[in-house]
Amino acid sequence: MSDASAHALEHHEPVTSTGIPNKKVLMWAFLGSDCMFFGTLISTHLIYRKISATVGGNFLDIRDVFDIELTSFSTFILLASSLFMALAVSAIHKGNLKSTRWMLLGTIVFGAIFLACQVYEFTHFVHAPGNELTLSTYRGEPHVFGSTFYVLTGTHGTHVAIGVFWLLGWLAYSFTGKMSTAHALDVEICGLYWHFVDIVWIIIFPVVYLMEYAL
Amino acid sequence: MATESIKYLSPDTENKAKTQVFPRPGQHTTGLIDWLTTIDHKKIGLMYGLTALFFLIVGGIEALLIRSQLWDHNMTVLTNREYNQMFTMHGTTMVFLVIMPLSAAFFNFVMPLQIGARDVAFPRMNTLSLWCFIVGGLVLNLSWFFTGGSPAIGWFGYAPLTDTRFAEVIGDMGPDFWIFSLQILGVASLLASFNFITTIINMRAPGMTMMRLPVFTWMTLIVSFLIILAFPAITIALVELMFDRTYGTNFFDFLEGGKPHLWQHLFWIFGHPEVYILILPAMGIVSEVIPVFSRKPLFGYGLIVFSGAIIGFMGFAVWSHHMFTTGMGVVATSAFAMLTMLIAIPTGVKIFNWIGTMWGGRIRFDTPMLFALGFITMFMIGGFTGIMHSSVPIDAQHQDSYFVVAHFHYVLIGGALFGLYCGFYFWLPKMSGRLMNEKLGKFVFTLMFIGFNLTFFPMHYLGMIGQPRRTHTYNEGHGFEMWNQAATIGAFILGVGIVIGIYQFVNSFFNKKLKPAGKNPWDARTLEWTLSSPVKEYNFSRTPIIKARDQAWENNYGSKENHSEKEPLDDHGVHMPDRSWWPLVTALGLFGLCLGMLFHRNIDPSGELVRNYTVAIAGGAVMVFGIIMWALEGPGGYHLFPKEEEE
Amino acid sequence: MTPIFRKFISIPHFIIGIFLILAGSCSRIDHKQSALDPKGLVSQNQYDVFMLSVWITIFLFCAVGGCLLYVLWRYRAKTAEEAKEVPPQSHGNSMVETGLIIASSIILVILAVPTLQGIVLLNRVPDANDTESLEKLGLDRSQIDGAITVNVTGKRFFWVFEYPQFGIVTANELVFPASKAVRINLRTEDVIHSFWVPKLAGKMDLMPGQENFMWFIADQSKIIGDADAATAMPSVHDGEMRAKVFAKQKFTDEFEPVGGLFYGQCAEYCGNSHAYMSFRALAQTDEDFDKWVKRFQNAQNPNLATKSYDPQSSYEKGSLVSFADPKLGSGSNREYRSIRQIAPGQSPQLNPGAWEKAHSDDYEIGKQLFASLQCVQCHAVNRTGLGAKGPNLTLYGLRTSLAAGWMRNDEESLSKWLKNSNDIKYGNLMWNGEGVDDRHPLRNLENDDEKVDQLIAYLLGQS
Repeated sequence: MSDASAHALEHHEPVTSTGIPNKKVLMWAFLGSDCMFFGTLISTHLIYRKISATVGGNFLDIRDVFDIELTSFSTFILLASSLFMALAVSAIHKGNLKSTRWMLLGTIVFGAIFLACQVYEFTHFVHAPGNELTLSTYRGEPHVFGSTFYVLTGTHGTHVAIGVFWLLGWLAYSFTGKMSTAHALDVEICGLYWHFVDIVWIIIFPVVYLMEYAL
Repeated sequence: MATESIKYLSPDTENKAKTQVFPRPGQHTTGLIDWLTTIDHKKIGLMYGLTALFFLIVGGIEALLIRSQLWDHNMTVLTNREYNQMFTMHGTTMVFLVIMPLSAAFFNFVMPLQIGARDVAFPRMNTLSLWCFIVGGLVLNLSWFFTGGSPAIGWFGYAPLTDTRFAEVIGDMGPDFWIFSLQILGVASLLASFNFITTIINMRAPGMTMMRLPVFTWMTLIVSFLIILAFPAITIALVELMFDRTYGTNFFDFLEGGKPHLWQHLFWIFGHPEVYILILPAMGIVSEVIPVFSRKPLFGYGLIVFSGAIIGFMGFAVWSHHMFTTGMGVVATSAFAMLTMLIAIPTGVKIFNWIGTMWGGRIRFDTPMLFALGFITMFMIGGFTGIMHSSVPIDAQHQDSYFVVAHFHYVLIGGALFGLYCGFYFWLPKMSGRLMNEKLGKFVFTLMFIGFNLTFFPMHYLGMIGQPRRTHTYNEGHGFEMWNQAATIGAFILGVGIVIGIYQFVNSFFNKKLKPAGKNPWDARTLEWTLSSPVKEYNFSRTPIIKARDQAWENNYGSKENHSEKEPLDDHGVHMPDRSWWPLVTALGLFGLCLGMLFHRNIDPSGELVRNYTVAIAGGAVMVFGIIMWALEGPGGYHLFPKEEEE
Repeated sequence: MTPIFRKFISIPHFIIGIFLILAGSCSRIDHKQSALDPKGLVSQNQYDVFMLSVWITIFLFCAVGGCLLYVLWRYRAKTAEEAKEVPPQSHGNSMVETGLIIASSIILVILAVPTLQGIVLLNRVPDANDTESLEKLGLDRSQIDGAITVNVTGKRFFWVFEYPQFGIVTANELVFPASKAVRINLRTEDVIHSFWVPKLAGKMDLMPGQENFMWFIADQSKIIGDADAATAMPSVHDGEMRAKVFAKQKFTDEFEPVGGLFYGQCAEYCGNSHAYMSFRALAQTDEDFDKWVKRFQNAQNPNLATKSYDPQSSYEKGSLVSFADPKLGSGSNREYRSIRQIAPGQSPQLNPGAWEKAHSDDYEIGKQLFASLQCVQCHAVNRTGLGAKGPNLTLYGLRTSLAAGWMRNDEESLSKWLKNSNDIKYGNLMWNGEGVDDRHPLRNLENDDEKVDQLIAYLLGQS
């Protein structure tokens, strides 16, 4: 039986030419591609920020809408979640199931807080009295800022949400009793994704939010 | 199958097999279920190829309708809207549903065999890619049956023509279908590319170093990288366009702050690498065929690989040459003109090296070689007119005239399609196990070559005397008639040639009278020719240990130390994975999601817009369910113990 | 094997031969929209660079293709045995490869230099003070100083030409002086269009939300050859151009182009009737152009509108007045022209011998119909009409073409057009625009020959 399971493992993770597991190469390739997705969105936002800088003849001062304290807080939360993620990966490598669960839970909770902040932010912006920023208007006048802003940050939010559900999947799986160090690689790949989403936010936050305050 | 086999269950799945309502179809699955659930890269390749050939006929019929309409001035075969739909669908079909999937068919079938792998890295993902491609093609062609008919926006979909504000039919759904189908096709291409990249990087047989990879595999790798880096641009552009059309954002609405210019940039940042995505696989095929029929190794292998990579890299830096007439200013225009001229150099290098390969060889003129030579000459003409277009003053006259139509058909038919036909004539004996009729093959080549040149060579002249592109008719008195008639006759000859070719390909799978191919009918050079034809489902009974670049040739003619060896067979034999339903379920869920999104808007009796996401959510749920079941399915599989001679 | 080889060898020869024969048989390249027959400075430059690239590529094609043919012939496997031989397995020659790369780079430089010069030329009008480059281009300072500006606006599916220097607006036929530079500012109000007159210049797109620029200058000597300028370029302002164009339409071997008439076309796909979005550019001598501008300015000058008859005034011979004519309907006015000097108090009705009707009855009724059928909502004619939605129809009777350069502007085509424009130009805004439905009077002209004839009399009477 032990022989058989050894074979099973061998089939599960075959020897590769580079020594890097297939799944990891796949995730890196995906992240490379995802860079281009966000690159396109961020450049769209920046280009429009430059060429459509006014609304109704006045400079569009988006600081009237933004709530930088809240966004800074949620940024911090997302960064912190990366720490939990890293700890979760390390825990499962060591085979510490209990610690893995807690760390996964921490990541999920912090990710969820970030998402909640974003949902709050979006509804708040759309209904901000006198400063309504919707998908197609700002203060009731047609503008493109809402379009680029919501689609960019919304795409990032979708990434976070997918990550949260993925982690939830692992958390649920950890209660089936089948989770072992054999799954360390899978969790690690999930972590790669999570860190990437985090890094993207580290770019979005200064480019979309902080830059408005530097002007 | 004469092999012994035992059912293999990993400890993980032992319990699940009993409780699963929907077991993973196993070794002895046959018939329709086998094709629906297969994860074998060879079968997926065949289905990719067959579907693409079907769409080639669809796109070809569209092309022939276009040509019939242009037979004479003021013809009424098609109305102007129908004509505009035809050229939109023709372009979209040929690029996304014919040339790309035909290349993918060869990537799937040939690449794992060339690197000594038993399958791609993620077989089920490969299946999902196939089904996404089929769903995408279906969505695009469903557009014929709904409001407004097919899109009439051109394959490039320039904003703001795609904006609902400028729709020429009230509630036109064509562009929506176009957007969603391109998104799904994008998913298909991305999944396949991630898979191929992982496979080539990670699953090479021992000794198969990167610089021993066959050129076709190299081109697969480069094209896959181009796809994963270029498709995001159009995906985001399409997302933005979808938001514009569905939720009223202003990305491309110039009356509300958007810039139609941005669409062009995003489209061509994708669109120019896409040109190389279409042509590099054909170059890879030709780089395999010419050495075989010259009986010499490729001249300057390193340079050919390197120039392929350079072309791919520079392909991202020249997109604006599609926009020379949009008013980008002197500096940007000059820079992109110079970069575009530079990209001609690595392309020229390839042509020199192919001739260098033939130099001093023993050249045989079998059908694949004829297509390869046709490729070189026709691609050369297309390349030369490409250099002309890199010169802005010339482009100012040629842009959007028939000269450009001639140019890119020389590249995409004379180049890509000839290359792919070359691949069919070359590798089909490996797929079907039978040799095709040489005489008929040469007849197909002759028809295609004459028809193609008769169609597209006069278009250079038509463009120069002022016939604009994308016009459904022309006025009398311009002197366009004669050459358009020549082109139309040529198009029908080309069409007949293509159809006979397709007949021949399909026939070779069913006609038992054809001669068996044997392992290596062409005396070819690369690893796949060491296997039996058709290839067994496990590809290699024992993993080969590679000693040289052209391993099959070295085994036959090389010195002893260059002969490949084989890894010892494990006592548990060859582990084959089971088939799976979940890729198909996931793709169907995606199909439902798209249909739900397409039809989620209704106008209620009071004239209010009502959004109903039920179908979309249901489709999404099926998709997520498919993915979850997929994840929980476990490896499964069975073992085969092939005998040595059954490779 | 050998016969098939012969076949292959002969196919390209055969095809090239056929093309040479056919190309020889249609040696005329001065088609209406031919870029091979440049008649302007910019298009000549584009043509020159093109021909340079043609010779370069023919040279390359012959060199590489010849090399290929030689290799195929020299190294073909002549027998079945030879096809099984193993030739030396050489892997490449870095000297040869480097040499070829360098050679191809040099060839590209030959094309790159005129390309860069051409980019500057087509984007910038030469500086009038830069005598050196003017001399190089063969231009005179006055040609640049006297440049006219035209604001081009593209709409689905026609063109608006506005001359800001002269304060006039016309549509679909661009009249310009042959000896002067013409600056073109391009705008669009809907989708992307592209302005292309192959014989004068290349094309430039009309991008929404952005103003693009191009310019051209005709080469008068190329248009008129040795002939006298005034006769070789028929004048527009007196209808001579229209008459000359009507005499010749088809491109045949006997086709003799009308001097100064250039055909243009929208070159960016813009919707259903993109193919029909053409236009014409008409070159004039300076004198004829001035006369045309004058006529247009007068026609569009609101201060020069025909005044009502004033019993206190005396009138010169040929004066126009408007005066009530009950025959046209109550409250309707008609224009009268004096045939001699008129003393005060002699109204057209009192003295029919001194006045004549300026226009036919059909014309006058047509004029009323033009208003009552709501044509004026979109079309401006001379001083009347609000419209900027449709083409401006001032001095419409001088136009050579109808429906954005698609048809000959005569009674027959105009009648077809008025009866059912959607049949001719599917999707046009006159038939399909905002507020036009089946109840609109325009859509009910189909069986009303009388009204159509009256409208035609009015429209073509604008000359």
